Amino acid sequence: MSEVRLTVEPRTEFGKGAARRTRRAGKIPAVLYGHGSDPKHLSLPVVEFARAIRENGRNTVLTLDVAGSSSELALTKTITAHPVKNYIEHVDLLLVKRGEKVTVDVPVVLSGDPASGTLVTQDLNEVQLEADALNIPEQVEVSVDGAEAGTQIHASELSLPRGVTLQTGPEILVANVSEAPSESDMESDIDTEGAGVVEEASEDETAGEQA
Amino acid sequence: MLVPRKVRWRKAHAPKRAGFAKGGTRVTFGEYGIQALEHAYVTNRQIESARIAITRHVKRGGKVWINIFPDRPLTKKPAETRMGSGKGSPEYWVANVKPGRVMFELNFPNEKTAIEALTRAAHKLPMKCKIVSREGGDF
Repeated sequence: MSEVRLTVEPRTEFGKGAARRTRRAGKIPAVLYGHGSDPKHLSLPVVEFARAIRENGRNTVLTLDVAGSSSELALTKTITAHPVKNYIEHVDLLLVKRGEKVTVDVPVVLSGDPASGTLVTQDLNEVQLEADALNIPEQVEVSVDGAEAGTQIHASELSLPRGVTLQTGPEILVANVSEAPSESDMESDIDTEGAGVVEEASEDETAGEQA
Repeated sequence: MLVPRKVRWRKAHAPKRAGFAKGGTRVTFGEYGIQALEHAYVTNRQIESARIAITRHVKRGGKVWINIFPDRPLTKKPAETRMGSGKGSPEYWVANVKPGRVMFELNFPNEKTAIEALTRAAHKLPMKCKIVSREGGDF
């Protein structure tokens, strides 16, 4: 995975007003922490950071050139995005060192076409891996090419690059190939057997009856 | 139709309509989904109608997830009734949907058919909606 160099500025004012001013200026409020050091409040350039995430994935290693300080290596820990407008509101960055092992969530991508008359359901979107901070795989690819109905792919069956270990439970289901539901299966109503509203007696009423 | 099996109180205050969805804002189960762009109370009839619109269009070979549940009762007074004399009787069961919430998800191999099915379902819902995909979450 390639390293991306970003020039960032330290933040001196805090709170929602200051954060909104930072966003209006085309920057993202961010915090950098890890290795027992004091957290550093930064502002990242929004276009460059979004491009880095889009092109290299969320686990890309960022080389941060902090103005007035030395450069730091960081991994993106959390990206908080707006639920509707989908712009980045805040970023948590984790300080890493060269040669350090880190635990990260890596996306699982299904590839290939299964056998006809089947439906593939992906049950696990991300798998937790331990890898060298500078050699994190961008994604884990799982082939479902020609898979028949009844095929189940578990986390233990994923092919991982050398030096990467699985942290997710090996028995967890990643993808399931089942027979494609028929028209009658899909048309059938939702199971509402036994549905109906029964009001439970309140505690006051129950206490009144007992007295 | 979706109705709670058991409730503690038959009548409740109307749910709050402020704010954005706190979770369930990304497609996680299927490949495509319907995301709400506005607040709305979605009734159990509207949910069922949208579900039928999806299943009738894709016909077979797909899987539908409904991520919202109509667990909040809304009351209504009868027509031509004077004000007062207590709260009306329960009339609807609604899901309190906030902007950003992915309400329906669909897994279907053909993208064009899946998007058309979800568009038809979105027309049955009482708010502006957007069709989103699992892979479209980049910034």
